[in-house]
Amino acid sequence: MKRFNIAIAGLGGQGIITAGTILKNAALNSELHDVSGSERRGGAQREGYVEALVKYIFYDSLDELKDPRKNVHSPVIQAGGADVLISLEPIETLRAAYYINSRSTVIFSTSPHLPISVRMKKDTYPAIEEIVKELAIITPKIYYYDFNKLSIDNFGFLTPRNILALGVLFSKTGIPIEKEIVEDILAKGSQSENNLKAFYLGLTL
Amino acid sequence: MKNLFVDGKKGDRAIVLGNEAIARGALEAGIGYASMYPGTPASEIIIALDKNKSRIKNLYTEFSLNEQISLHGAIGASWSGIRSLCAMKNVGFNVASEPAHFLAYTGVKAGLVVAIGSDPGAPSSSNEQDDRWYSLHTYMPVIEPSNIQEAKDYTEKAFDISEEFSFGIMLMTPSRLCHNAGTLIFGDPKERDNIKGDFKKDPDNYLNLFSMAVKNHKKYLERYELLKRYTAASELNRIIKSDSRIGFISSGIIYAHLMEAFRMLNAGEHKILKLGITFPLSEEFIKRFFKGLDEVIIVEEAEGFLEFQIKKIAYEAGFKGRIYGKDIFAAYGELTLDDVITGISRFLKKPTPVYFDEALNRNSATCGRIPQRMGTFCVGCGHRGTMYSLLKAAGFSNTDGKGRDFVIAGDIGCYTLGLLPPYNAMDWLTCMNSGLSIAQAISLADKDKKIIALVGDSTFFHSGIPVLMNAVQNNANVLYIILDNGWTAMTGHQKTPSTQKDVNGSAIPNPVNLKDLLRSLGVSYIKTIDPNSVKRFSVLIKSALKEQGIKVIIAKRECILQEERRNKLMRLKNPLQKPEPQAIYEIQKERCAKCDECFVELACPAIQLKKDEQAGPSIAGIAKEYYYIDPASCVKCGVCYEVCPNSAIRKVEFNLTGEMDVKRSMGKLTELIITA
Repeated sequence: MKRFNIAIAGLGGQGIITAGTILKNAALNSELHDVSGSERRGGAQREGYVEALVKYIFYDSLDELKDPRKNVHSPVIQAGGADVLISLEPIETLRAAYYINSRSTVIFSTSPHLPISVRMKKDTYPAIEEIVKELAIITPKIYYYDFNKLSIDNFGFLTPRNILALGVLFSKTGIPIEKEIVEDILAKGSQSENNLKAFYLGLTL
Repeated sequence: MKNLFVDGKKGDRAIVLGNEAIARGALEAGIGYASMYPGTPASEIIIALDKNKSRIKNLYTEFSLNEQISLHGAIGASWSGIRSLCAMKNVGFNVASEPAHFLAYTGVKAGLVVAIGSDPGAPSSSNEQDDRWYSLHTYMPVIEPSNIQEAKDYTEKAFDISEEFSFGIMLMTPSRLCHNAGTLIFGDPKERDNIKGDFKKDPDNYLNLFSMAVKNHKKYLERYELLKRYTAASELNRIIKSDSRIGFISSGIIYAHLMEAFRMLNAGEHKILKLGITFPLSEEFIKRFFKGLDEVIIVEEAEGFLEFQIKKIAYEAGFKGRIYGKDIFAAYGELTLDDVITGISRFLKKPTPVYFDEALNRNSATCGRIPQRMGTFCVGCGHRGTMYSLLKAAGFSNTDGKGRDFVIAGDIGCYTLGLLPPYNAMDWLTCMNSGLSIAQAISLADKDKKIIALVGDSTFFHSGIPVLMNAVQNNANVLYIILDNGWTAMTGHQKTPSTQKDVNGSAIPNPVNLKDLLRSLGVSYIKTIDPNSVKRFSVLIKSALKEQGIKVIIAKRECILQEERRNKLMRLKNPLQKPEPQAIYEIQKERCAKCDECFVELACPAIQLKKDEQAGPSIAGIAKEYYYIDPASCVKCGVCYEVCPNSAIRKVEFNLTGEMDVKRSMGKLTELIITA
């Protein structure tokens, strides 16, 4: 059995759940592929924490698929159990760093969204350099971009930022999914032109 | 495009939510009735059916006014021979518990399943209650799927069990399963052509009074014994055999955590009992599992419902081994995968991997340092206007550290978020309509306090009308603010009786006239205001508080998300229509005194802080910062423009003539218009 775990974190309205759903749909083609993963949707309001987990399971054989000790999977990722962490908000990357280990890849957006406690000057928002420094203690594989700016500069609006991150996921990590499958899903979905463009742009970052 | 939820056939695969899998299971079981009062995490169960109903033959769906009505409705459908599904959140069952306590007495005709979304860790609830305990007095059997596939398969099976033993079934799924999205393999749905109601009188079962009730009580206890025997042989309860003298018992999503923990810890092949039906338990079956075991570990969330039942069986069976449960796993909070891994690791003395320990330790070290993020209102939401007006009327200010002397009663809905900083605008929050209910008594007990109770339109219609009547009849002295946004917004925008217009623009027939309703309840002080007119609203609150008795202010503004959706649809439908006059707002750096009125007191998320890179490093190398309105988030509600004490926010109107009127705008504003 092979497994590949991806944690996607961010805020309500950033397309976190959508990004997770796209990745999950990429695992539908084989009987021996399974995928699940819990979502945190509590933060449907603006500024709430949102999370989508993607757990790929690739069985070696039908016997393994039928073994009751092997075919049941928790919908969540254990501490340190993610191969990749994608985050669309800097401090949410630190919060979700709970999921990563020394071999994980981290992809995150540098556009901050200040929590109320920072507005009220009860907390301070760390500098991006500090965040990177803190992550670097855990893993050397850290990629960060201003996805908000890239999105506005290339498309004029913020929506494609999650797809940009998916492009980076395919260029910088060993995700065991063919990128053509994701292209196919994007091509069939809504906003396909922009999304494909964003995905290709992400691949080049 | 093919809609698998409706058209899926046996063997089709799709990514679905746990909630959608339950809905599909009900569809495969041939339901004809589905109802709920919306509540996270269960809402998508009925949403999935409701949004597809035009494509599903003979399906009735209803978002009922409350859970009691919803369950009664499902009972009526069942008695008419139609399989019915009723969904609700954990605390919703408290409201539905009265009909639930009669369901065993009367029995069902067609299968009836109550799908309950529990919420351990309370990410979207006001408590963590485990509704499985209700089964001990309602005698409703409890079925717990542990993954998405079982969510569908067990739901379908639940209807058969319901019919065979004439009980309503509780299908329990925690938020971790409701909102788990993954692979589902479909089955074939039942034929839908013959779904048709045919109510037949059944006085023997449906009439419950005096000895008739006692007779029905005896009858269901007999059915319960038969059901127990059935559970011993049911495929929903499974023993995974082993020679180990240690046995584990679990159910639902926690079983999935447990199996993953075993694999991760290489914890050997112990004997496992996976319970799909967790009430009732068959004594014979549990005794069979005990055979050869010295130690039994029950792995479950919350207070130990399985442990309670299994220890009783063990005592009666004279089991000599030890039984562990809540002494290993906490009875509060979500029981996470990590909690299960840690508990099993300690019990079996199998070390956890180094990476796991490092991540856990790191988390406890960083947890307190990262600024907490709590939800707030959407940009343009009328609730922000209400909270701000309320606090201004009370003389409250974060920046001055001034307190407020008003007592504010909270209630359940989007506006509940007003209890969080920076508003801190609630003094209690428990259950639906606890706001005015408790406030009216305080107003009678402590006559010196100024008391305001908040309620949303959906919560008011849920069970607030009797509360208000009670308050009027008993001369309570409370200002009652109904935050009427026209929708049950928090759970995905279901209609309420005050919804006037659908998102597609069509008028809703027979909306309740809230003012007429209030008048007929005996309320004489009724005012309506737009909550985003914050200055007027705060003056109104102050003057209302000077009056005696029950005063009602209707803070009326439609949910901004729905309004925006409708506008977007209208623009798509009528691309040639002249654009409505609009305004854009910009903070003028040079005039802004950073007084924090818009940034902290109003706390609109569209107002943000930016480093002034052009200004270069100033004193001590810190770049100057300024506030600005993010054009990508701003919905032009104009509240910040109204609250700014320094007139630092500029309003630019355009489209006044039906065309872009950018003449008055500066260079920067032109750019804003394009992105807006």
